[in-house]
Amino acid sequence: MLRFSFIFRGRGVAKRFASSFSNESALPPNLLLPTNLVDPDRLKRPPPPADSSLPPLRKCDAAVPAHLTPVQTWVESLERQDSEPLGVAQLHPDVFAVPPRLDILHSVETWQRNYKRISHAHTKVRSEVSGGGRKPWKQKGSGRARHGSIRSPIWRGGGVSHGPRGPTSYYYMLPMKVRVQGLKVGLSSKMAQDDLHIVDSLNIPTPDSQYLLDLIRHRHWGESVLIVDVGEDFSENILQATANLKTVNVIPAIGLNVHSMLKHEAIVLTLETVKFLEDKLLWHDERYTPLYPFKLPYSDFP
Amino acid sequence: YLNSYMHKAWLGPSSLCCRTPGAPVSAAGLRFVSDAAPEDNRSPIIESTEEYKYVERLIPSSRIPTPPKHTGPTPSGWIPPADSPPSLPYMIRRSRMHNIPIYTDVTNSNRKLTLIRKVEGDIWALEKDVRQYLQEVTGKELPTQVNEVTMTLKVKGHFDKELKDWLVSKGF
Repeated sequence: MLRFSFIFRGRGVAKRFASSFSNESALPPNLLLPTNLVDPDRLKRPPPPADSSLPPLRKCDAAVPAHLTPVQTWVESLERQDSEPLGVAQLHPDVFAVPPRLDILHSVETWQRNYKRISHAHTKVRSEVSGGGRKPWKQKGSGRARHGSIRSPIWRGGGVSHGPRGPTSYYYMLPMKVRVQGLKVGLSSKMAQDDLHIVDSLNIPTPDSQYLLDLIRHRHWGESVLIVDVGEDFSENILQATANLKTVNVIPAIGLNVHSMLKHEAIVLTLETVKFLEDKLLWHDERYTPLYPFKLPYSDFP
Repeated sequence: YLNSYMHKAWLGPSSLCCRTPGAPVSAAGLRFVSDAAPEDNRSPIIESTEEYKYVERLIPSSRIPTPPKHTGPTPSGWIPPADSPPSLPYMIRRSRMHNIPIYTDVTNSNRKLTLIRKVEGDIWALEKDVRQYLQEVTGKELPTQVNEVTMTLKVKGHFDKELKDWLVSKGF
């Protein structure tokens, strides 16, 4: 059986760096530990148990297959730094509990990096270098090696025989279903590693960036947070708070992509975002092959 | 002499064009739109969306519909999945067209393969059951290949009909 070694609750990582001498302190002062080390001392809130009796704040709209159970997570609030979770939400297992296909994640990530790439490296071939039309000296009798032009590749200043030729495009498209599965695998991986947080709405009391940073540090969400919301109107407070922050970013739900999910440690979704993502991502499991491009109207496009 | 005659004939239609609107041109038999009786109150253009429904009902759906409830096999031979999934360590989902996901493949015109896709759960238990069932059916030990990453099972030979009937009898 494939062993998923994501959640590795070993001994506290800090103890491994402790010196065996009892006089010295537990941790050396100049030790820099990365924040995403799994350390039970951080006391992250454990996910709600599968059979919790709390009534869910949000149920799955789409039908859940009979052999799967919905994923349960806490719904939190950004209003106060130390507020308790508001309740439990149920998420669809076909979006948030998909088997972790790292090969799909890798291929979608490389596609995202490369499909926009146009390399402008260009060298001149011997016919493009100026000059070199005339035979420099006669074929026989001069005592020097025979040459046909002064711009041949063996000459200094000559053309490059097999160099990069012109702007080359690295454009290719992965199949739509592979890209959709990449999103599902990314969301499931974040959920499995306790890095996905559901929030009821993005209303924060102050437009202060420090409030967000304190909140993230208090709740041990990680170094970088990606906040996703549906629609184009965001509240002024959250926009102002994240404007000057490099590691905390707000994006609309249509902008969710595998690269951003991998780049940020934690992802925060609102309840409307979860509904939007489930609608859009689950539609691909039950759609026909396109009769005409999906940009044109269909009667029940999500 | 001829030129002046042609010139007048040629000028004729142009003079007709330059006449004031309102005077019907019966000589040439033409009636321009601008000569319609001048309406004093031009009603504004009204857009009516009542006939849109005739086009909207032609736009196709993008979702595959769920099949209607059948008890037992249908006349075409399609058998619906059981209402509750069978209590086995593995699960085989139906394809998006609600069929059993077993496919055959022929490579190099002589290598026959049967592929079982969309497996969830313990794929090794499925492999053991498939090998045992095909041993009973054919009497031969067939090589199989399990791909744990893609959760697929390949069996040497074409056994799609037998495996489909077997899976349907299990209730997948």
